[in-house]
Amino acid sequence: MNYTEISNERLGETYYQVKHPSGLTIVVCPKKDYNSAYALIGTQFGSINSRFICNGKTVTVPDGTAHYLEHKLFESEEGDAFHLYAKTGASANAFTSFNNTCYLFSCTDQFKESLEILFDLIQSPYFTPETVAKEQGIIGQEIKMYADNPDWKVFINLLQALYQNHPMNKDIAGSVESIAEITPEVLYECYNGFYNLHNMVLCVAGKVSLDEVLAVADSKLKNNEPVSTESVFPDEPYAVAKPLIEEKLPVAVPQFALGFKENAPLEYPTLKEYLCTNILLDAFGGTGSALYRRLLDENLINSGFSSSYLSGPGYRTVVFEGESREPRRAAELIQEAVVRLHETGISQEDFDIALRSVYGNFATSFESPASIAYEFVNAHFARHGVFEAADILAAVTLDDINERLSHQLDPQNCALSLITGIE
Amino acid sequence: MSDLNRELICEGVAFNHIADTRFKLGRISATLVVPLNRRTAAANALLSFVLTRSCRLYPDFTALNRKLSSLYGAALYPSVSTLGDLQVITIAVAGLDDRYTLQGETVSAELAELLYNILFDPKLVDGHFSDEDVEQERRQLIEMIDADFNDKRTYAINRCIENMCRDEPNAIGRFGMREDVSALTHENIMSAWKQLLNDSRVELAMLGSADPTRVREDLRGHFAGKPRKVTLSTIVKNDVAEVRRFTETEEIVQSKLVMGFRCASPAVPADRIANTLMGAILGGTPTSKLFLNVREKQSLCYYCASRVNNTKGIMLIDSGVETKNIEKAEEAIMEQLRLLKNGCITDEELQNAKLAVKNSLISSQDSLGALQLHYITGVLTGQTLSPQEAAALVDGITKDQITELARQIKPDTVFSLIGN
Repeated sequence: MNYTEISNERLGETYYQVKHPSGLTIVVCPKKDYNSAYALIGTQFGSINSRFICNGKTVTVPDGTAHYLEHKLFESEEGDAFHLYAKTGASANAFTSFNNTCYLFSCTDQFKESLEILFDLIQSPYFTPETVAKEQGIIGQEIKMYADNPDWKVFINLLQALYQNHPMNKDIAGSVESIAEITPEVLYECYNGFYNLHNMVLCVAGKVSLDEVLAVADSKLKNNEPVSTESVFPDEPYAVAKPLIEEKLPVAVPQFALGFKENAPLEYPTLKEYLCTNILLDAFGGTGSALYRRLLDENLINSGFSSSYLSGPGYRTVVFEGESREPRRAAELIQEAVVRLHETGISQEDFDIALRSVYGNFATSFESPASIAYEFVNAHFARHGVFEAADILAAVTLDDINERLSHQLDPQNCALSLITGIE
Repeated sequence: MSDLNRELICEGVAFNHIADTRFKLGRISATLVVPLNRRTAAANALLSFVLTRSCRLYPDFTALNRKLSSLYGAALYPSVSTLGDLQVITIAVAGLDDRYTLQGETVSAELAELLYNILFDPKLVDGHFSDEDVEQERRQLIEMIDADFNDKRTYAINRCIENMCRDEPNAIGRFGMREDVSALTHENIMSAWKQLLNDSRVELAMLGSADPTRVREDLRGHFAGKPRKVTLSTIVKNDVAEVRRFTETEEIVQSKLVMGFRCASPAVPADRIANTLMGAILGGTPTSKLFLNVREKQSLCYYCASRVNNTKGIMLIDSGVETKNIEKAEEAIMEQLRLLKNGCITDEELQNAKLAVKNSLISSQDSLGALQLHYITGVLTGQTLSPQEAAALVDGITKDQITELARQIKPDTVFSLIGN
């Protein structure tokens, strides 16, 4: 079978990429002398893909359908997939995010058998009114558990404040009401559109060879006719939906999330844009920054403070999150610092330091089979390479960062989410 | 590969070296172990954060963190935990392996120097730690203690242990009590520093591809000449007069039920593994008795899991439950425990648990952090097996051994956090 071999000498890493005849894209990154293998298969069907055109037909599904489908695929006619993996000793799981659903296992032995289970799972949809109804109780419990989780709520509420129309403003699991509308027909329609192997990717890293993976793929994967499945998103205005959202929960220390919304095309950011944002955020808000110090000195944050970049089809937002006794004041200071940042830009010294830090993080992401598998799946969905990051980081300049800044962190376009205690 | 090379470099101080060239990172850590007690726990915890905030050479938080960033985003962090009735303070540095630096820098040597600076040459003002560092870290530590309340699963587990072990050191918790942190003086923190360096059990660890000789000799020099008299022990109780119940209410949607039990605390490696297997069969995996019956078949909980603490000889079963089901869930959990004690373990259950425990042991060899934890926790509890050797013992464990251990389980405390 034709495969592409891609190596990076500096990192001492090699991976192989294959378009399997079944339609599945397969990426394998063997790690010499490792004891475990990590396999991750994913499709770009997440909570935001609630409206799509599949072979010419427009489909709209209830909120929470992607997550519901993940639960239902994780069990087969014979029962829960955990029972199947229990016989191989693999540790298995599945998760749904905003823009994808992934199924995974990690094992030290019986890799072939575990991969067979994984392939069977995603190729054996089995939905009846009874099995679909049965899941409503357990997912309802999951939704309730998340409702008590301040870390989750502060983040989900922020997205509600940021997005007016884009389905990023919906909880990934949907609501007790929305999941009640899910039927077997809905699940089959989503399955046929997004779980077609042409629309999926498998990444395996660790104690594994390309041949081992291909042998299982050849024996287990059924050839799929390509289908075109295109998600449709509503127009999203540039402006945030509302500047402030506050909820009361039993917390001892209030939590905040401050998001700066950007213009977001339906494409993912390029790898260069993504890396430049990482450098920018490390220089501006990392532990060595003037902002971090000022927030600490004024007792407004603790070591839980972090910044991150949330990006995908139709959404791009920089998020600052933390715990604070005075969350409003913390947010105010960050906003003031953002205004100054646009006046001064990042300094050469801050850039030099942040660049090394981002390079170190990139190199060490090749440490564990799990992080490698995630790196490759995310790169595939975002349609960029993985090793290219090394070249981009070798060439990136301060001007690139300050140019990037001109599209980001608009102080006029941010929203604050607060979780405060119950008096 | 990944085998432990252990050398006692001076009284009470061991240097543990694990040579491994597979990783992109190198790691050096100092683990300082002392008895957990109310008098010193808070000071030790606060000290560990103060120490990693600055040092004489990098005298403030920003200078130190910029140094770490320029060392390719190296990490320097304290971790404070309990192991039975011991308080375990680890200060670790981890950074890019020298082979992967852009200009051939020796990050490993710089990180070793940084660790010595952090431990032995802190920034002192008039003979004590600076007000700024102490007050900053005191505030953050109190916020961390308070934040345990934010996550109700953690909070309910902590409350169960506090009630169950109220007369035992481990009830104090890893950070000590909140009010003790508030009351700490400069003298308390200074004496915690001296005591931790001079009279604790010290387990040093170096993992990665770098040559350990220089670091080992440097550390020998730093730690030598201290008459270490610390004695470490853990109370293991196995007599329970009656089950005690505690209930709190909170504005939450899903209630929490945490059941605390006394169980065996075996010293022999094979018995510890058997105890771990027992916990896995009962509620440690997605095919365990609790998961399958209480969660899946009876739909009484969203999660229902057991964890065995071998060192302390306690087992906790924690679950997230709808309030109306809380009594039924407790009965269903006790029923599964009764079955286990009666030896109702299928071959499949035993085999599944063995595979899961082996998988987890062998996987730990693929991470420097997990390797460090395996070996250091091992040597502190008298277990010196490599993950591979421990995994090899798993197959020999019998149903009878597990049933025997299950029969030693006694219910002690039930803590419920009830939603409105």
